[in-house]
Amino acid sequence: MVDLSQVFLNSLVTGSLYLLAGTGLTLTYGLSRFPNFAYAEFITLGGFIGYVLVEQKNVPFLLAFLVAFIVAGLIGALAYGLIFQPLTKRKASLIHLMVASIGLGYFLRYSIGEIWGWSALSFTVSWPLYDVNTVRITGLWLWLIFTAIILGLALHACLIGTKVGKAIRGIATNPELALVSGVNVERVIFFTWFIGAGLAAAAGIFRGADARLTPMLGWDILLPIFAASVLGGIGNFYGLIIAAYILGLAENFGVVFLTAVGLSTEYRMAIAFLVLIMVLIIKPQGLGKK
Amino acid sequence: MGIFAILALSLSLEYGFTGLGNFGKVAFFLIGAYTYALSVETGLAFYFCLLFAGFLASLGGFLVSLPALRLREDYLAIVTLSFGEVLRIIVKAEHGLTQGVWGITVPNAFAGFSSTPRLLLGANFILVFLVLLLCFLFLQLTVNTPYGRVLRGIREDDLAVEALGKSKLKYKAQVFMLGSFMAGLSGGLFAQYMRFIDPYMFLPNVTFLVWIMVILGGPANIKGALLGSFLVELLNRGTRIAKDYLILPIDPNNLQYVLFGLMVILILLYRPQGILKETPVKTKAGDKIKELLGSESEKQEELGVRS
Repeated sequence: MVDLSQVFLNSLVTGSLYLLAGTGLTLTYGLSRFPNFAYAEFITLGGFIGYVLVEQKNVPFLLAFLVAFIVAGLIGALAYGLIFQPLTKRKASLIHLMVASIGLGYFLRYSIGEIWGWSALSFTVSWPLYDVNTVRITGLWLWLIFTAIILGLALHACLIGTKVGKAIRGIATNPELALVSGVNVERVIFFTWFIGAGLAAAAGIFRGADARLTPMLGWDILLPIFAASVLGGIGNFYGLIIAAYILGLAENFGVVFLTAVGLSTEYRMAIAFLVLIMVLIIKPQGLGKK
Repeated sequence: MGIFAILALSLSLEYGFTGLGNFGKVAFFLIGAYTYALSVETGLAFYFCLLFAGFLASLGGFLVSLPALRLREDYLAIVTLSFGEVLRIIVKAEHGLTQGVWGITVPNAFAGFSSTPRLLLGANFILVFLVLLLCFLFLQLTVNTPYGRVLRGIREDDLAVEALGKSKLKYKAQVFMLGSFMAGLSGGLFAQYMRFIDPYMFLPNVTFLVWIMVILGGPANIKGALLGSFLVELLNRGTRIAKDYLILPIDPNNLQYVLFGLMVILILLYRPQGILKETPVKTKAGDKIKELLGSESEKQEELGVRS
């Protein structure tokens, strides 16, 4: 018998992870107007940086978190500055940008594989377990959900209240207008890539601590993250919030369904794909836009 | 090498000429390989199985392209990429049909007349290059027909093509099917050549390698695709040999992909047209236009002289 509240909790956890990981993707996608496939490697990188700091250097978790955020963020900004900005300036086609991002992804992934090896690592930190009635929750999950909520609130405040946030929204809707309105478009995009890659790294730490850590970590969750971004409407943060949790629900209930029908739970990924196809057929512009 | 060259040709048709970003090449390759492996087991003749592999792959291509073709290129990219991932998962999970991670051993198609391994290798070689040659000739012909010109028109400006009364959706879907057919063929050949397939042979790396081949060699150039596949394969083999003979501080396999990633970025930054840039697509149509233009200008010159 499946515990319904446990499934809901699992969905909440999965959704929070996708929200955390997807935010950067959807924002940079909205601003730079191409899907960055190397995003998966930002996630992986975060996981590994976190691992090195926490496991090998005995750094407190929170500090490791911050360091991973900043390092991955810098790499993200650097990647934009060295590769994607010049490409955009040369009027590279959308496909060229995507291929370049895949190339960057391979570069990063195999560099990670070279440095840390391909065998799976796992965090040895044990998290306190809480049992509420029949529901089991780990401290890590609480942190993840908490972080996702904080992120949601902070980004909302940023998008509504601050100059940068307004600029991000402005560029996403109309880059030319933003430019003539005196927005420093390049700087805002840089900033977004920094934040985006940093958030990806944060998601990577959570994912790595929750499951195993391999160089394929980011790639394995890239598909549902893309599905969530498309479902939420590309570049639309608020759409993403809903979409991430919908996907979390779909995936966890899907797994319950799959076990009930007797199919392999490997089809977990296929659920995200199904969602993606459905969205493209029915409502390609996503949930968020009117 | 020939097998990958066929893949590169198919991508050249899809991306180079029509501007479709297929990031799930491996999916159609996989369909071809498994279809071939499974249908050969039923005892059908191998050429029939090969065609069947191609057909199923093109059907897959048609189905996948449908939801995404109407939209921007990036959606197609995401959908095809995910399709490749999902297909691999399905193959992994459906033990009954594909034997999952255990893989399938493919029976020898040339058992009748090639008993020694050397002969078998020769037969495979001939078969692969025969198919490659056919694909090459087919592509060469296709891109030079009016059909090919429409495709290039779609790549450059699909609105203009629509305005001329050509349904870009139809053409795109057709190209996708054609490309997938070729990918399916090459998948079948791959299965026959390797004599064994399992899901781990169909990682996204295959797609990436094919993309490098096409981008390196020159996307809208059929010979470029061949050249690219030759160079990439050379590098690939080279690192494999280096693994045995050289002691490098880093694992050659990692190094290879790191270099490939870097290479793609550098090519896109500094030479987006690929190696064969100076020889732009030569078409009979283009030649004719040049001829016509030439005679036109001659005429004008004559006129100019007269007036």
